[in-house]
Amino acid sequence: MAMKFGVKSTAADIKKFTSLITNREAAIRKAKANDINPSFRINELARKYHPDYQKMIISEIISHEGADAKTFVFKKADGSEAAFFRAGQYVSVLLKIDGSLVTRPYSICSSPLEAKQGIVKITVRNVKDGFAAPYMLENFKIGDEIKISGPEGTFYYEELRDAENVIAIAGGSGITPFLSMAYAIRDGLEDFNLTILFGSRTEENILFRNELEAVAKECDKIKVVNVLSDEKKKGYENGFINAKLIKKYAPEGKYSIFMCGPEAMYRFAEKEIEKLGIEKKFIRRELLGVTKKVASLEDYPKEAAGKVFDVKVIIGENEYNIKANADEPVLAAIEKAGIPAPSRCRSGECGWCRSKLVSGNAYTPKENEGRRFTDIEFGYIHPCAAFPLSDMVIEVPGSYMK
Amino acid sequence: MKKYDYIVVGSGCAGLSAALELAVSKKKVLLIEQHNIPGGCATGFVRGRFEFDPSLHELCGVGSAENPGGTREIFNRYGVDVDWIEATDCFRVISKYSDGTAMDVTMPSGKDAFVDKMEYYVPGSKDAMLRFFDLMQNIDDGLAYLSSDNINPANIFKEYMPMVRSGGYNTTDVLNALCLPEKAKDILSVYWSYLGVDMDNLSFLHYASMVNSYVKFSAYFPKHTSHEISVKMAERLRELGGEIMMGCRAEEFLFSGDRCYAVRTNLGTFVAENAILANINPDIIFGRMIPPELVPAREKKLCDARKRKLGARMFTAYFGLNKTAEELGIKDYSIFFPQGSDSVAEYNSLKRISTNNYSIFLCYNVHNPDFSPEGTSVCSFTTMFTSSTDFDNLRQEDYYKLKTAMAKKFINTLKEKTGIDISDAIEEITIASPYTFARYLNAPEGAVYGYETREWDGIIARTIEMTMGLDYKVKGLYPIGTNGVRGDGYSSAYADGQIIAQKAMADSEKEGK
Repeated sequence: MAMKFGVKSTAADIKKFTSLITNREAAIRKAKANDINPSFRINELARKYHPDYQKMIISEIISHEGADAKTFVFKKADGSEAAFFRAGQYVSVLLKIDGSLVTRPYSICSSPLEAKQGIVKITVRNVKDGFAAPYMLENFKIGDEIKISGPEGTFYYEELRDAENVIAIAGGSGITPFLSMAYAIRDGLEDFNLTILFGSRTEENILFRNELEAVAKECDKIKVVNVLSDEKKKGYENGFINAKLIKKYAPEGKYSIFMCGPEAMYRFAEKEIEKLGIEKKFIRRELLGVTKKVASLEDYPKEAAGKVFDVKVIIGENEYNIKANADEPVLAAIEKAGIPAPSRCRSGECGWCRSKLVSGNAYTPKENEGRRFTDIEFGYIHPCAAFPLSDMVIEVPGSYMK
Repeated sequence: MKKYDYIVVGSGCAGLSAALELAVSKKKVLLIEQHNIPGGCATGFVRGRFEFDPSLHELCGVGSAENPGGTREIFNRYGVDVDWIEATDCFRVISKYSDGTAMDVTMPSGKDAFVDKMEYYVPGSKDAMLRFFDLMQNIDDGLAYLSSDNINPANIFKEYMPMVRSGGYNTTDVLNALCLPEKAKDILSVYWSYLGVDMDNLSFLHYASMVNSYVKFSAYFPKHTSHEISVKMAERLRELGGEIMMGCRAEEFLFSGDRCYAVRTNLGTFVAENAILANINPDIIFGRMIPPELVPAREKKLCDARKRKLGARMFTAYFGLNKTAEELGIKDYSIFFPQGSDSVAEYNSLKRISTNNYSIFLCYNVHNPDFSPEGTSVCSFTTMFTSSTDFDNLRQEDYYKLKTAMAKKFINTLKEKTGIDISDAIEEITIASPYTFARYLNAPEGAVYGYETREWDGIIARTIEMTMGLDYKVKGLYPIGTNGVRGDGYSSAYADGQIIAQKAMADSEKEGK
């Protein structure tokens, strides 16, 4: 039997139903044909907080003589506020070096409060046989215009996850995110106890020594312990940052460990931390970067080592035929060819460079595996952390920062 | 300049679906996407050893392989094989009945089980519940008939009279007319949040077609986050000869006379011989992407009439936990925590941060133990905002604090209402707000639901308008997505993309292209 249903009378219900279309027409008819305003406040703020890129001017350069490093003070070119950030985050700096178009992630070393004045500071330390760092140290001048990304990365204090006591392990220029965190604590933006174990080679080498001392003096939540590897001196710890040293400065009960430094430091520190039996959630590491010795990794297919491959890069309608070395990530080859391609973390994590491997093979080190499950299944790679194993064709997304 | 039959701008759910519908119809298609991943809301992201699903997690209308629902049929038509997991329960809700007594009910999938469980919680509800399901079935059949070819108006009034008679009313009115007991109505009101419009303003047809679809076919979600759906759709499009350009942002639609023929992007200009389908909010299309003098007066009026009244803005906290669901005592896949059973009061409380105490808890591992690495689990909490007020001028330093405060509130609600405490198990946490959705989707106010589907702008009114073929659209340019005929939701967006793609092809045929 067909079901029967009514709300009021049959006539009233039918009228109500047919009025659906007349109501719509009436509502639209009586509206005004004004030009449409496509701006929405939330979207404006989203763009402000997460810009495609920020145009900056180098307003000041501070040399750190003993440390062979410089701090570049970037000021927003149009005088506006820079995107606010969480202390510990990085910006990706776009560089044009001899026909190459490269990015480099640098932790912000200034207080998030300074972003309100349009200021973002990064510190660049010289790297032997480096490419971008020596270029920046040598060529960056006051008044230069530089493009940087918005704030990126997840290396910041999260009170719902991290313990209220944080032991920071810093090596060399890896001090920068912790300096920013220290400022953020001082400025009341963050609230946790930060003990920084800072490894330097010699006393003279200590980056931001005065700044760290000053901020620790200003705020009792911050403590700095300098650890010298190449020098024994009164008032300093000596050697490498090992389990014993961490224990010495760690509080009773729970604590988090945050690490930032060079690859060698991570490899050493991670083994030491294992001895402490800390829950994985309490161990955070800043971006790893990619290894310079991919062939030394256990599961690397050795037969590819040292080879040079032909790579066809497709971006939109454009195709580029380039060469790629087996010992460098595909992204490096793309950048050397001067092709604008998106990238940010350069560690395989953020996925900004996610590209389709149309043909060929690539190797992603386990420690850089940040791809989504289905992406791995369907042959997508993060070129910043994928080493070519054969000739290949890849489809790379267009870039907005060039 | 490369030419295509059709260009689809934006690879959200509707964009992917439209592109596939065109491709299976042997059209030469270009799909462009500003982001580096396809899917819009239907995506995934990685933090540490966890992968998360950022938005709506489950789809209605999928059904089993043997008994497919409309959504699965769309995927079948496209040849897209998603690894679906069935959510055997519809939901658990912990709240209060309208008489103030405590409510803690778990409703199963499947009509009979649903009706029986309702009878268990609300004795004496069975007859009314059966009428409710009969009515929803009549509506389902009626709507299918309305979208078929060769409709006989007399038949509509003969076979689908229950649909006609309920069709003009809001959900509250119809549930009252069905003489459902108060407590049953309270339980059924949980579904309002799926559509973001309270029961007094939600068209019953819209409500019924969704509820019926969820209960009849179960909810399904993809095994490896929604990214799985989107990537599989994109890969299938490639197989069918479609082209995809990522990192390709549409800046402007180009016109020859009053006809849209091309789109200018950061990667060049691309020409569509037949039409462009834009998975973009109409305010953005007509306000920013085409010359104002070419915007039809009716589009301007439609926009004005909507008064920028957008649907829900999501706020979600994602947690990667270092314990299993079992260890944490999590047994339910989804738990709703409304404040009470009055959806109007609830809707109003969601306008402001200070009064928003709503949340939906979700744990994928309950149905999909492999969702995260061994010994871990993933859960999320979502609430929504029915107004942008508190987000229009939020300072960013306060924004971070708000994120943490909201997440704490979510965690405490779960603890208070169920005794489950996740606070010591948090290994990863990420929080997405309306700004986050605005950033990644470019949707106005980050409102993933598009315009509110209420009153004159409900989906039935939109559908009837489309079937009447009102001829006011910009030639060669078809907006698709959550602002379309089907409203919000993954399933709706896939359907909308398909419907509009078919319409665009039919229009082209009429024009002799």
